[in-house]
Amino acid sequence: MDMIANWLGNTPDFAVPFALAALGLILTERAGVLALGAEGLMLVGALAAIGAQLAYGSHGVSLLLAMGAAAVVSLLFALMVLVLRINQVIAGLALVFFCQGLTGLLGTLLEWTNKPVKGLAAVELWPLSELPLLGKLFVQNPLVFMTPLIVLAVVWFLTRTTTGLRLRAVGENPQAADAAGISVLGYRLAAILVGAALIGLAGGYISLLSTKLWIADMTGGRGWIAVALVIFARWSPWKALAGALLFGCIEALIPQLAAAGVRLPQYFVLMTPYAVTLAVMIWVASGRHATGNQPGALGIPFIREERR
Amino acid sequence: MLKQMKRTLCAAVAFGLATTLGVASAQEGLTLDKPAKIAMLYISPRNDGGWTQAFDEARQKLEAELDTKIQYVESVPENASSIRPAVDRLIQRGANVIIGTAFGYSDTFKELAAKYPDVAFLNGSGTTNSANLESFYGRTYESQYLCGMAAGAASKTGKLGFVAANPFGQVNWTVNAFALGAQAINPDATVTVVYTGAWNDPVKERAAAMALIDAGADVLGQHVDSPTPQIVAQERGVHGTGHHRDMREFAPDATVCSSVWVWDRFLAPELKKISAGNWTPPENGALLSMAEGGTDAACCGPAVSEADKAKIMATREQLLKGEKQIYAGPMLDRDGTERIAAGEVMADPALWQMDWFVKGVTTQQ
Repeated sequence: MDMIANWLGNTPDFAVPFALAALGLILTERAGVLALGAEGLMLVGALAAIGAQLAYGSHGVSLLLAMGAAAVVSLLFALMVLVLRINQVIAGLALVFFCQGLTGLLGTLLEWTNKPVKGLAAVELWPLSELPLLGKLFVQNPLVFMTPLIVLAVVWFLTRTTTGLRLRAVGENPQAADAAGISVLGYRLAAILVGAALIGLAGGYISLLSTKLWIADMTGGRGWIAVALVIFARWSPWKALAGALLFGCIEALIPQLAAAGVRLPQYFVLMTPYAVTLAVMIWVASGRHATGNQPGALGIPFIREERR
Repeated sequence: MLKQMKRTLCAAVAFGLATTLGVASAQEGLTLDKPAKIAMLYISPRNDGGWTQAFDEARQKLEAELDTKIQYVESVPENASSIRPAVDRLIQRGANVIIGTAFGYSDTFKELAAKYPDVAFLNGSGTTNSANLESFYGRTYESQYLCGMAAGAASKTGKLGFVAANPFGQVNWTVNAFALGAQAINPDATVTVVYTGAWNDPVKERAAAMALIDAGADVLGQHVDSPTPQIVAQERGVHGTGHHRDMREFAPDATVCSSVWVWDRFLAPELKKISAGNWTPPENGALLSMAEGGTDAACCGPAVSEADKAKIMATREQLLKGEKQIYAGPMLDRDGTERIAAGEVMADPALWQMDWFVKGVTTQQ
């Protein structure tokens, strides 16, 4: 019983970075820009958050700087894909490698590596925190409780505002959007920046609120899982949140089982998050869901008055 | 990354290869044609907080002891196209003793040692050896045994946790030694191990440490690269034992003992031997006991009583004098199978292949 309570209580800590990063990716990709750089931007956010925390010591400021730093670095990606119209897959991969090198170097030069910082005190949502079994779900750091609100805000923005409609139009049919007087490149640039900020926040969450220290390459492939998450959530923020929770559950369960002395084959267990990613993607691709709502112009550079 | 495997396959391969190749060891040893000029290649940044930082600390001590300047190159990845130019350049600048720090340098170092027969090569956690190349690693189970004793002494419940990277021989030998040490103080002590599957993933290490504490462990041992398990122990008000370096730096209240690298104790005499001339590296490389340098235990935190501390220090003395063997028979595994016969000491190849656990250890499969 205790184990289940602890397991559920630890789940949000794993789920939140997936959810925030997936959300950022959805925003960018809904505007038609294929963003594979999440892993790199998360590293930038993670490093910036710890650096800012070591320098200023305010969690709020550090997380904002993490968002800002990731957005600034994503300008480089924007330059590559919007102005130079480089293949978006290659630009995304290049961004990841660039960020891995950059953060590793800066973390060493500035001596931010392996410097523990203080975490954020947990907030208790009373009386929900008194619930049996589920109680620990409601004793979390504030950003955990804000995550569903951020998802709600993004959903509202995409589906209930004119700007959101235009952003989706840019992603579905940029030629039509352009003819209607919408600035395709402007919207795409904004989508890249805001998306990167959310991905940077996900990275900042991992370093500042979860592990409370910076180590080179510490995101450990979680940005790639977020990329897969977006595909199997079919670019829907709520489904991405559900997917993030599923992954969080699995990641939180593995150590709980091991610590409880359950003798499972460990390499199989460590493989499960990735196996689940694959399985769900195959399921999504093979079923009727396949036609889902993948943005029509995803990954296609926009060239005005180009014949298609 | 190859680094993950660096401390593994190691000897299995090394011992196998070295014996079959047989090496032309009859010929004369290496004599440098100039005074020794030493250079080091680091796998990570010098301030990585663990493995490489321990080498950098050794470098500073060596500079003082040998009264020389030692150059170093940081963050040299484990692929030939990065290692070769770095070593070539160092040798062009006059270096004639090259010290590497990674499993993944093994093959390229072997190649370079053949290319530069007048240069002495050493490689920490490497697997290859030749007439002018010596690989070395430490018997971490000795220092981890001492930390296990400290953990057993600091634990109130006798339930210990251990955060480990991968179930490789040299990780499993620390787990078993940790458990044996704890049981030397508290015969009922148990150790539950969580493997994270990564050398340096603070997210997984934190989750593992939290889960172990949730499940009742009140001292956490570790064989992973980051100090995360110690930091979690400190946050949760329990204790822990560190690896690589003295982790009181990160968790002053929690860490009661750390298995630390003391490479200078091995390298200083070895470098002097190289300078003296006619140096012949051991055929199978050096697997260093505490007596030979390599590792030591930084002990003990205030949670360990004076009486227990005295026991630990006495055992340390025995190890330093070479009077005590951790893996000496008779030893049974947790299923009751005899693994070491009475009167025998486990041989190195068997150590590297260790895939069994002593009584009281719980692991995944």
